[in-house]
Amino acid sequence: MKKIEIDPISRLEGHGKIAIFLDDNGDVANAYLQIPELRGFEQFCVGRPVEEVPRITPRICGV
Amino acid sequence: MPDKFKFAFMPSASCGGCEIAVVDIDEVILKVAELADIVYWPTALDFKDHHLEAIPDGGVTVGFFNGAVRNEHDVHHAHLMRQKSQVLVAFGACAQMGGIPSLGNFWTTEELAHRMYDTVPSVVNPEGTRPQTSFEAPEGELTIPRALERAYALDQVVDVDYYLPGCPPQPKWIIAAVEAVASGELPPRGTVIAGTKAVCDECPRERTEEKQVTEFRRIHLVENDPEKCLLEQGIMCCGPATRDGCEAACVVAGQACRGCFGPTDNVNDMGAKLASAIASIVVADTQAEADKILGHLDDPAGYFYRFGLAKSMLGVQRGELKKGDE
Repeated sequence: MKKIEIDPISRLEGHGKIAIFLDDNGDVANAYLQIPELRGFEQFCVGRPVEEVPRITPRICGV
Repeated sequence: MPDKFKFAFMPSASCGGCEIAVVDIDEVILKVAELADIVYWPTALDFKDHHLEAIPDGGVTVGFFNGAVRNEHDVHHAHLMRQKSQVLVAFGACAQMGGIPSLGNFWTTEELAHRMYDTVPSVVNPEGTRPQTSFEAPEGELTIPRALERAYALDQVVDVDYYLPGCPPQPKWIIAAVEAVASGELPPRGTVIAGTKAVCDECPRERTEEKQVTEFRRIHLVENDPEKCLLEQGIMCCGPATRDGCEAACVVAGQACRGCFGPTDNVNDMGAKLASAIASIVVADTQAEADKILGHLDDPAGYFYRFGLAKSMLGVQRGELKKGDE
């Protein structure tokens, strides 16, 4: 099965890649979006003073 | 006219704020465009790895790398940028010292993943599915890069020539860096392109020479005097150990400094320096009193290492990737 990979997805913040699989007729059989990034905001905000969290979470996306 | 310079901008474990900082130089970007061609900048234009790989080694005049190094793809990108760039700049707090993503270094990658994919309230994942570096979908294989065991600063992975600090870097220093490249008058290798003193030195708030703190207070629970030093009002501020050059932007806006410009020169461990600075201003006659005052400092690790945990000496072998991350 033919695979078209778009890696990275450009012109955006964040990391993503797309895999498109084509069948024998060249039609799209399936497509996958993958997010290959791990940073851990879900964990490292836990336990911080609540007034500090608005100073940390803007760095999830700064665009 | 000589050939134009060639600039490349590489994002890694970052938020995109550094890329916005580049655009924040406003109309100066037009001068940059006259001076240099942008040969790689996937956040702004449709570039892929192969575009950068096709450039001869050293073919990029200045490479700007933003973000921490958090997965094996970032490691590849760090080496690729080093190989292609005559001058490599760690751009922003994450590339300089790990930044916010390195707060995750207080946990193992497995612990972070457990939280993210198993226990976060918004996640429903009864089978405990985790991202795999390789997955056999019915149509074929899918891959993602392996996450490293921790976040790294850029210079823990490859040699770095200059540092442009800040979260985000400030336009005036980006412009200063570009002007230095344009004039050919580069500062000594390893220079942090920002101020050379502490944030307190350019902070407009009034302070006495004898800082004395008898109580630490949380900023939202007090009405702070906008004219006076925040630390002297018992509000934790990282100004004393943080490099200046930001014009004390946060403090001017009524928020304490959190150290995004990194340590001043000759400081090995910013957190240790801050701990020392804070300890020296606490007024206590007994250990019990000191413990009580410092006990009100809710999250010292989060204050002292907000942006720089990757570069801390704590549990880190400098310049080497941790076992398993090579």
